[in-house]
Amino acid sequence: MRNFFPRWANYIPLKLVICLGLIGGAVTAGITYYATPKYTRVGYKPTQPVAYDHSFHSGQLGLDCRYCHHGVDKSSHANVPSANVCMSCHKNIKANSPLLEVVRNSYFGEDTDKDGRLSDEEDLNKDGLLTAGPSVPWVRIHKVPDYVYFNHAIHVNRGISCVECHGRIDQMKVVHHAKHLSMSFCLECHRRPEESLRPMTEVTNLDWTVPTSDGQDLDLAQIHAGLEIKENWGVNPPLSCTGCHR
Amino acid sequence: MIMEKDDHLVSRGRHYWKSLDGLAETPGFRSWIEKEFPDGASMLDGVQRRGFMKMMAASFGLAGLGMTSCRRPEHAILPYGQSPEELVPGIPSFYSTSMPTSKGFNPLIVESHEGRPTKIEGNPSYLPFGGGTDIYAQASVLEIYDPDRSRGSFKKDSKKTQGSTLMRWKKKPTDTLLLEVSKWAKEKKMAVLSDSSFSVVVNKIKDDYLTQGIKWFEYDPIDFLKPEKSLASALKADNSLRSIPNFNKCKRVLSLDCDFLGNREPFNQANSRSFMKKRHIRPNKPEDAKSMNRLYSVESDLTITGGVADHRLRLESSKMSVFANLILAQILRKLKSTDETLLSHLEKEQDILTAQNEWILTCVDDLCENPSSSLVLAGNHLPQDVQVAVYAINRALGAIGKTIRYKPVDPTLSSSVGSLVDSINAGEVDSLLIVGGNPIYHTKEFIDWEKLFDKLDNSARVGYSIDESSERCDLHIGQSHYLESWDLGLTWDNETLVPVQPLIAPLFDTKSDVDCLLRILGDSEDAHNLTKSLFEKISDKVSFDDFLRLGVAPYKPTGSMFSSAEKMASGSKEFLSPELRSFLLASSPVAPRLSDQNLEILLVPDFHCWDGRFANNGWMQECPDPITKLTWDNALLISPAFAKDLQTKYPDLGLLPKAALLNKTGEIAPDNANFINGKQTAPIVELLIDGAKLRGPLYLQPGLADYTIVASIGMGRSQTGRVGTGCGYDSSPFMNTEGKRVQTGVSCTPTGEFQVLANVQEHWSMEGRAIVREANVSEYVENNSFATSMGAESHSPPVWGRDQNMDLASKSQTTPRGNSSYEHPDHNYEKSEVHGLHQWGMVIDLNQCTGCSACVVACQSENNIPVVGKDQVLRGREMHWIRLDRYYSSAPREGTDIPSDVQVSFQGISCMHCETAPCESVCPVNATVHDEEGLNAMAYNRCVGTRYCANNCPYKVRRFNFFDWNKRDKDEVYKGPLGEKNDSLPAMGKNPDVTVRMRGVMEKCTYCVQRIQEAKINVKVAAQRHALLSTGKDGSDITLKKEDLKVKDGIMKTACQQVCPSDGISFGDLSDPSSKVSQLKSDSRDYSVLGYLNTRPRTTFLAKVRNPNERMPDFSSFPHSSREYHDKSHPSHHDDGHSGGHSGNAH
Repeated sequence: MRNFFPRWANYIPLKLVICLGLIGGAVTAGITYYATPKYTRVGYKPTQPVAYDHSFHSGQLGLDCRYCHHGVDKSSHANVPSANVCMSCHKNIKANSPLLEVVRNSYFGEDTDKDGRLSDEEDLNKDGLLTAGPSVPWVRIHKVPDYVYFNHAIHVNRGISCVECHGRIDQMKVVHHAKHLSMSFCLECHRRPEESLRPMTEVTNLDWTVPTSDGQDLDLAQIHAGLEIKENWGVNPPLSCTGCHR
Repeated sequence: MIMEKDDHLVSRGRHYWKSLDGLAETPGFRSWIEKEFPDGASMLDGVQRRGFMKMMAASFGLAGLGMTSCRRPEHAILPYGQSPEELVPGIPSFYSTSMPTSKGFNPLIVESHEGRPTKIEGNPSYLPFGGGTDIYAQASVLEIYDPDRSRGSFKKDSKKTQGSTLMRWKKKPTDTLLLEVSKWAKEKKMAVLSDSSFSVVVNKIKDDYLTQGIKWFEYDPIDFLKPEKSLASALKADNSLRSIPNFNKCKRVLSLDCDFLGNREPFNQANSRSFMKKRHIRPNKPEDAKSMNRLYSVESDLTITGGVADHRLRLESSKMSVFANLILAQILRKLKSTDETLLSHLEKEQDILTAQNEWILTCVDDLCENPSSSLVLAGNHLPQDVQVAVYAINRALGAIGKTIRYKPVDPTLSSSVGSLVDSINAGEVDSLLIVGGNPIYHTKEFIDWEKLFDKLDNSARVGYSIDESSERCDLHIGQSHYLESWDLGLTWDNETLVPVQPLIAPLFDTKSDVDCLLRILGDSEDAHNLTKSLFEKISDKVSFDDFLRLGVAPYKPTGSMFSSAEKMASGSKEFLSPELRSFLLASSPVAPRLSDQNLEILLVPDFHCWDGRFANNGWMQECPDPITKLTWDNALLISPAFAKDLQTKYPDLGLLPKAALLNKTGEIAPDNANFINGKQTAPIVELLIDGAKLRGPLYLQPGLADYTIVASIGMGRSQTGRVGTGCGYDSSPFMNTEGKRVQTGVSCTPTGEFQVLANVQEHWSMEGRAIVREANVSEYVENNSFATSMGAESHSPPVWGRDQNMDLASKSQTTPRGNSSYEHPDHNYEKSEVHGLHQWGMVIDLNQCTGCSACVVACQSENNIPVVGKDQVLRGREMHWIRLDRYYSSAPREGTDIPSDVQVSFQGISCMHCETAPCESVCPVNATVHDEEGLNAMAYNRCVGTRYCANNCPYKVRRFNFFDWNKRDKDEVYKGPLGEKNDSLPAMGKNPDVTVRMRGVMEKCTYCVQRIQEAKINVKVAAQRHALLSTGKDGSDITLKKEDLKVKDGIMKTACQQVCPSDGISFGDLSDPSSKVSQLKSDSRDYSVLGYLNTRPRTTFLAKVRNPNERMPDFSSFPHSSREYHDKSHPSHHDDGHSGGHSGNAH
């Protein structure tokens, strides 16, 4: 009886194994590189409804982060400022700039002639109260999953600077996602807080580095200073699930 | 306000469309709907629109496969245009408000996240309640997000098609409809039908209505004001006499069918607090037990009050009059009364109580031996002669002014629903406005509303949802939730003013009852201004803003109209006034001869839905009744004796369980309900009384008086939302004009049908295990550590081994190996160099638990626990993190009879946070692990749903999400991702600090970890900021001590702890020896459930101490559960049943 299969067919299983191995390896490598937060999040730079320039306001003008994000040291959320915060300056500065149209609409709302008073014609829903306009739809950049309960207040008050997670916002014209904020990112810092701890007053100073004496290695100086703070303040970041997941 | 442009009700199909022939899907009806909209207008509506969306979703999904739209979803952050003052996103605000109930206003503090009310707590400034709340207040936050509430106002629209008239509700602006009603008020003879109210504002408006000539009628299915009115009329007092017990100085209580700790009586939260306080034994102060109060309870139904009672006598409610008279006579004899006429009159019917005579005499002795510190209470459903007799008894005991106050209260000026019927028939009323309540549902069997409505020109209804009362009316005006309204009310004791202030603007186009009533009267004032001006008129010392901040203000009724009543209310020496004596002589109560042909029925408000108003509340429907443990249903409760009679007559009923195997002591003791494959199958019977018929499933309830049937009011609603439809039976056929809730002459016939009841607890008995440990006072005083000498651990080597004598703080901070040859995992994790700052633990004092179940719903509200529905409960998939176990135990008995007299024990069980947790070692993915503060953590996002942990948990406290309960309605869950998503409205009420769990993950009690973390963060932030401000440097030089970073004892409360009206739950730091929880754990009553398993639970229990009277005929020297334990663990002692008090140290 003739052979059904030619001789080369003997190598098919081997080829298949090698091929599958290569494909599997490529898929694994691809997922590891392309589908983890390091790739998917870092660099995310959406267009915002208002072209707010952090490098100008925070970098050049020197506005403190907490001027706008005032809840950051009190609450779990670092709030995005409401339109009235923007308008506290922009009522006078660039008051008619077309770039700020969205903010003005949100702030004045029913007060269509923008004179700060609500006339009867303007009060469309007749409730006697000024109803604010539509919110400025800021696009969210930094987002941890829903099951993660990150608390800004405890980090900011205990010597962790904004820069640790958000990067040099004061140098960004348009804010982008600077660090990957995955669970390993959190845990690295929770295991070695001394690498990041700094004095409370320098938390919003994104440019700050630990003062070094001549020739001292900066990283080493930070670890020394950080260890001292850790010891003095009793910093003991949680490493267990309940620290972040509830 | 949520604006809904399209007519919302239309897309809901049969839920709201009603046709007279009751067939919403007839072809004629369909064609009418289609004609209602021009061709094509509804093309993208309803089913077609959904199909289109599904198709589009599918195509988007496919597009995703091609990687063309593989983008991160864009989220918008929407800040305020003008931020409200003091609002910081992420920090909840708390407002004081109160909940209007038929027992007065319930003072509350409500938590609001970014404007959404999410959690309700009691207002601690109202001292009688001390910060506790009841179960209904807890559940009321769900009502505001009820998708089936009326989302606006509607007008009935009718159209004749194919010979029949079809009706539908058409949405209209609320203001338009109110204007229409106000025209009737001006031009027609309008009347208002309402429920009685403790609102100062509503009562003021009522006066305005009455002066305008608009008649005002009131109807309450459960009339709490009836006893005080009937007492006043008997004593010929001008004012109602409201009885307000004060248990602080009370040593002996006799309760006549009075569930004063439960939901059936007013002021039960205050009663629970003060009564249970007198049963509290402070840590390491066993002498407190000697001054414990004693409760005698005489009742027909088994209530939670009867469960707490030290002596309980089963007696039909219809015999209570005779019983009360006999008690009065005995007390008078004790007081050496010579008034033989009165005495012989009072004792006339005493033959029927011969069997109970000894019980009565001993009880009376005990009451009289504690003059001025004993008290007798009567249930509010009992007739006038009982109320008067009890008043006389309290006078004779010297209780008035000491342990009970009869507080004169303004009588309400209103007429009953009976006079409304007369007025309509007489043509004095041609338009009717029904406000609040649901009178037509309750009265439909004894009032022919159809005929009455034919005589009316117009009718309108102000209601929270479209219910049975709305169905009859032409207009339905949506009523706002109390969390959306302004009001001002009084608490039950009539001494405190409380505000109702809105936490949120009305979600829909609805108005509060006050606003509606004002608009109808043509008053331009709004509810807020009226509330404010009325408050300022009443109270001149406190400003309105301060009042809103504190949430309470003292109230003193003005005027001197109380002179006559004051005399009645004071405890004068001459205890039988002539009025009282003549009343007692004039009334001659007759006790009916009850038998299985002549039964008695007792109508009680339903545990789940009160009088029907919580029928569509999933939390309430699913919370098991504390005694019957039924969910989603009510049943006709019958006694074991009557069940036996029935079973003999109708052998197919299957009411009684089949005889079980012989137990070790040789008795055949079936003591569980009749379950088939875990489902309780109940025969449906028909009850008959004077032609009125009631159908419902039977439920065998030990502890009931032999010939009493207990039926509950409020279930079986025909017009309610998706949750409440099909739950339970309707007892309104037995409602009557006089509001009598105890009736005799009932007969019972089985229909041959059966119904499945969702009962969450199959077992009645602890089967002789030491799960709940109990002792009598006498035993406890002799042997303080009785609890540690019970259970298998008293026979096994000590769990802690050589570390037995270590103090609690070090035990909690290390993991002693005990006698184990294996090393236990330590609390030390990875690189966390020190142990957690705190070591959390909980103590539940079984002596303080009444079984009210408020903790179950509080936990559900705090922790986003889903509702699963009856079908899933039947499969054992309920999700409650706290399970309130109820056990029965009885005196020794022979044969197969189910015991009639039982003692009840409650025990709340939730995750014990075992130090050596069995669940952790079996999890293949480390989803459940310990944290450094001793919490048994559950990482939902790690869980893969093997359910090994639940299998290995000896306490059975882990709950598995079999479905996406939160995403889909209960009838859609089986369709999985293809099922329709539910209404997003309930999602607004979720606690944003707790993960909403998805399908396929395990969950359980977390010790409210979100509250723990919040408290810890707050302490650290405060300490750090304080230190920075005080040093003034850059902060790196601050030194914080461990104490600065610790949460102070009592700052952080778990949800169940906070709600408990009797402070039965304590939670805190075990590493701090001075914390309350450490103190309690060092008490000798402290024990661990299943402690011999060496699980070392962080939640422990304090054993229960009962205080029976040795002279009583039903005295047993051990609580029945301990006796069962001793008998079963030491069968040799069986003969002398009562000898069990062996010392554990001997083993």
